[in-house]
Amino acid sequence: MLPIGHYLFLSLALFIIGVIGVVTRRNVIVVLMSIELILNAVNINLVAFSRL
Amino acid sequence: MLDKVLFYFFAGIAVVSAVLMVTRRNVVHSAIFLITALLATAGIFLQLRADFLFIVQIILYVGGIMVLFVFVIMLVNLDVALRQIQFARQKWVALLVALALAGQVGLMFWSSGKMPGQGLPALTPTAADRLPLNSETVAHSLFESYLLPFEIASVLLLVAMIGAVVMAKKRT
Repeated sequence: MLPIGHYLFLSLALFIIGVIGVVTRRNVIVVLMSIELILNAVNINLVAFSRL
Repeated sequence: MLDKVLFYFFAGIAVVSAVLMVTRRNVVHSAIFLITALLATAGIFLQLRADFLFIVQIILYVGGIMVLFVFVIMLVNLDVALRQIQFARQKWVALLVALALAGQVGLMFWSSGKMPGQGLPALTPTAADRLPLNSETVAHSLFESYLLPFEIASVLLLVAMIGAVVMAKKRT
């Protein structure tokens, strides 16, 4: 299997994109969607660490 | 090898559709791209052998939350929303936050590589029949170890549902 750094980088990228969406967008629905993206990034991290 | 190909495939889809989701002006397009990002995340879960979470991700997010979002989008007046300014002028704040986050994680990687023998651990490959069964493990922890918090959470959800019904009912 892949080393865990790959998953950490993917989740970091998704998290940062989500944060940028939360900060820059003005529409409330899009802000909520960005928060969903952040939650998914955290989930990827948790699953990767549980497979360790 | 197959693991690597699958990971890069799903990760590429996830990141590209996340970027498109944040940058599109139309809210419906954003919702569609969010669906593809969530599906790609489900693929990552499957690649990590978390099959229960894969099913839950598809049913819960793509089935439930996205339907909710699309309902809200349909209820909001789209023509008015398109003419408004979609991006608040906080680009520098966003750039600063992103740089700070990336710097933190980069520092973590750098320092974990610095220490001798303390680099990032690799995921150990396990045979498929020797992995713990996903849904059975979840059921054990839900209904044996954490039965009381589970029941409390279900009562809380019931209270929220009743509250939503009461608030949505017309006062006659």
